[in-house]
Amino acid sequence: MLSIKCPFCGYRSQKEFAYGGDGTIRRPELNQDISDEKWNEFVYLRKSPRGKHVELWHHTAGCRQWFKVQRDTVTHEIFQTTKINEEIK
Amino acid sequence: MTNISPLNFVHKMGKFGDHDNKNESDLIKISEVSKLLIFQIAKYKNSDLNLSKISVDGLNLPSSLKSSSNSNTRILWLGPDNWLVFSSKIDLIGKVKNSVQDTDFAITNISHSRTIIELEGNLINEVLKKGCPLDINSFKEGECANSIFNGVNITIDFISDNPKKVRVSGLRSFGESLHHSITDACLEFGYKSI
Repeated sequence: MLSIKCPFCGYRSQKEFAYGGDGTIRRPELNQDISDEKWNEFVYLRKSPRGKHVELWHHTAGCRQWFKVQRDTVTHEIFQTTKINEEIK
Repeated sequence: MTNISPLNFVHKMGKFGDHDNKNESDLIKISEVSKLLIFQIAKYKNSDLNLSKISVDGLNLPSSLKSSSNSNTRILWLGPDNWLVFSSKIDLIGKVKNSVQDTDFAITNISHSRTIIELEGNLINEVLKKGCPLDINSFKEGECANSIFNGVNITIDFISDNPKKVRVSGLRSFGESLHHSITDACLEFGYKSI
């Protein structure tokens, strides 16, 4: 069981959270011509890294906010959590 | 809309569980709190209003994990720019709506969508620990938290440290299940339904 530090509520059990996928994906710019290949990449293609990874998590049973988590996918160690509009350093 | 309380069919009066040969003051007391006005206040992201100027029944909107209260009204922090108000003043929501701009806040009456269970007694922390992953002992009077109890989303309002008293509220549709979970957790200590 992970103990995750929500930027708003502090340390809480993993039970209160939902995993939200890769936190590094950027949506293509609005009002730009986007190729089908780029859309496919944005919607479907994800890496499965071994080691440090920036992820999105949602505090579903708490403050209901999305935030970023830098986690090691091997050891599950969490290095940093930030609000969604902040960058992981 | 119905006037039947959410726990009307399950909350039976009496003593239950391991209550024999125990002082009544040692038993956990469980009651349903109903007929309150409950509404949610959410500040819009594009509003730059100074929150310290906002007053609800004479109370300021509390900061993270805190609550503010008077004899009629309790305001709980739910999340950033999001609060839950419980009040016995049924006309309070109209007054609040009139006192703020509807471009700053969304105010929603959810009185009929919540169920509230009040627990009182020295052992209520032990009851909550059975189904809730929070570090319950670290919470003090005047604080609140959203969490889960046996998988049901709840809001815990830590009302008083002496005597220990909390209110657990959840969605009305989960009310009977939540009541069953909590009373089941109370059985080993003995409890009195009031």
